[in-house]
Amino acid sequence: MISLIEPTQLKNSLGDDGILFVRNDCIFDTMVKTPLLVASMIIVAALLPIQSSFSSPRDLDLIIYSDGTTHVSTEIDIDPFLTDYELNLFGSSIDNLVVVGDNGFLLDADVVDNTALIQTFGSSVITIEYDIHDLVSKQGRLWTFSLDSVSDFTLLLPKNSAIVGMTNLPINMELINEQNQLTLSSGSTEIDYFFSTNTIVNPIENTKNEKDYSLYVIISGIIIVILASIIIIIRNKQKNVKVINEVVTIQKNDVLDLETIFKLKPDLREDDKELVKFIFNNNGEALESELRKKFLQPRTTMWRAVKRLEREGVIEIEKKDLQNLVKLCKTMEENN
Amino acid sequence: MRKLALFAIFVLIFGTMSPSLVNHAYGQNDPSILLRIAIQADKQIVNQLNKNYENEIPNNINNLYEKGHTAVKSLEQSLSDNDVEKAKQDFLLAMNSFMQISRIISQSTEKVVVIMSEKSNRNMSNELDRLEKYVKTLESISKKHNEIEQSKDEFTKSYSLIKEIRKQITASENTSKNITELKSLVNSIKSELRNSIAEKQSNAIKDFFEKFLVQIDQKLLEAKDLGRDEIEINKANELILEIRELLSKNQINSAKTVYSELKIVLKNIGISVKIT
Repeated sequence: MISLIEPTQLKNSLGDDGILFVRNDCIFDTMVKTPLLVASMIIVAALLPIQSSFSSPRDLDLIIYSDGTTHVSTEIDIDPFLTDYELNLFGSSIDNLVVVGDNGFLLDADVVDNTALIQTFGSSVITIEYDIHDLVSKQGRLWTFSLDSVSDFTLLLPKNSAIVGMTNLPINMELINEQNQLTLSSGSTEIDYFFSTNTIVNPIENTKNEKDYSLYVIISGIIIVILASIIIIIRNKQKNVKVINEVVTIQKNDVLDLETIFKLKPDLREDDKELVKFIFNNNGEALESELRKKFLQPRTTMWRAVKRLEREGVIEIEKKDLQNLVKLCKTMEENN
Repeated sequence: MRKLALFAIFVLIFGTMSPSLVNHAYGQNDPSILLRIAIQADKQIVNQLNKNYENEIPNNINNLYEKGHTAVKSLEQSLSDNDVEKAKQDFLLAMNSFMQISRIISQSTEKVVVIMSEKSNRNMSNELDRLEKYVKTLESISKKHNEIEQSKDEFTKSYSLIKEIRKQITASENTSKNITELKSLVNSIKSELRNSIAEKQSNAIKDFFEKFLVQIDQKLLEAKDLGRDEIEINKANELILEIRELLSKNQINSAKTVYSELKIVLKNIGISVKIT
């Protein structure tokens, strides 16, 4: 006897071997609502970095002076819903402490032993600078730097210092004004050094041939694809939208003069104008590390300033010997 | 819609993976740096051994040096074989051996450990460099808030004092009087800056306090219901009133001071001070 009620899939998809085939075109939509999936992923992706980033330094830069005192500058993401934040200062002999919150507001901080209680009042990022005398000790002619850091950090060693021992692997080394700057990973680090003549280790020259470029190639490839997409999008937009801004091009020694730049960009911040002046006087280009050294700014602060100027269309950034070369743009658009 | 969803998923996955990709690339940045540091350290150790022992190097130091030097050679080989992991091990072994040698040498030549936190051990020129950096940091904060006109004279005076102290250092003259004056001037700049900026940020602080105090009011009521220490609860309520009064008079810094007291009282009651 034939059954009168038959499953619809059975009618259409029962093969010769009796295997049940089900069309899976709509299974994705049926099982999980697509917008719901995308929204969930966006939320998860957005929350992951926030969860892991609170109270962890974005950036930690240390400069050792020749007398062993160390200047620390760090930028920390903090919970904006807290009224204060307790910071570990790596030691108790602290001088010249400055804490700046969002929008450059100076924040109050009470230092007790090796912690600073900072009144953040809603700030989400704080920048801290101070000098500390506890990180370097000296025995005989040997100087020892010790630090247990929770994040990667950069360490600028004094001029004419020669490393004779270390317990941590350096991630990178740069030469800045004849001083070696090491980038070190988190964890406990001890570095022994002597003062001596002819101690500069040239970290950039003579090392290029031995590099593994594969990752750079992959990253460059991805960047090129993204840039190409952006250019295509911009071009498509330009076809439809009228050009509002007047493009000014003045060819004088290849770069615009300062007066013209400031006229075209009247909203530039005062400190950004100082950067532009320095780059202009330096034949229209300067390394980002030179800018940091000149303006005594931490790496991230300078990076943000440079990025801001790039967004404004005042400068362009090129890579030179693994460093950022900042160049004044030859043409600029006027800000409305 | 499906294409859009797939594209979004691709972007999200790539976005999540890309930071680790970049970090990885950064971590692998030029392993030959390890060799350059190790060779430099090797040379320095040889110099130190020649200076301190000439041809009579003690056995324990000689063994350590051989260990370190062999590790440097091995490091060179590992790098030419592109064996980064082995290179890292060789580097740490070499630097550890050299570190032990340098410590033995310095312990044998001079037993005194210099405490860098003692002021007498600081270099005056370095101290001045740091103070100048401090002044510049304050100046840049001041510029950001257009407060520079108010403290212009003080900044000018600071820089001229720095210049004068530099001259005194070059001439080996006593700088203590000018250094004290400079430090007090810088402290006064910081204090003025703090007060003037506090006025500017008063609205943001007031908003923050308002939300915060409303929640604390609520938590105090709950604490009262739970039978917590009534004296402390009353004290907290008084401090809240005082903060509100100070805020209405725009006395932000005083409000912050009272807030510090309130925080201790709240802690005694067992109330956390995070707003939601």
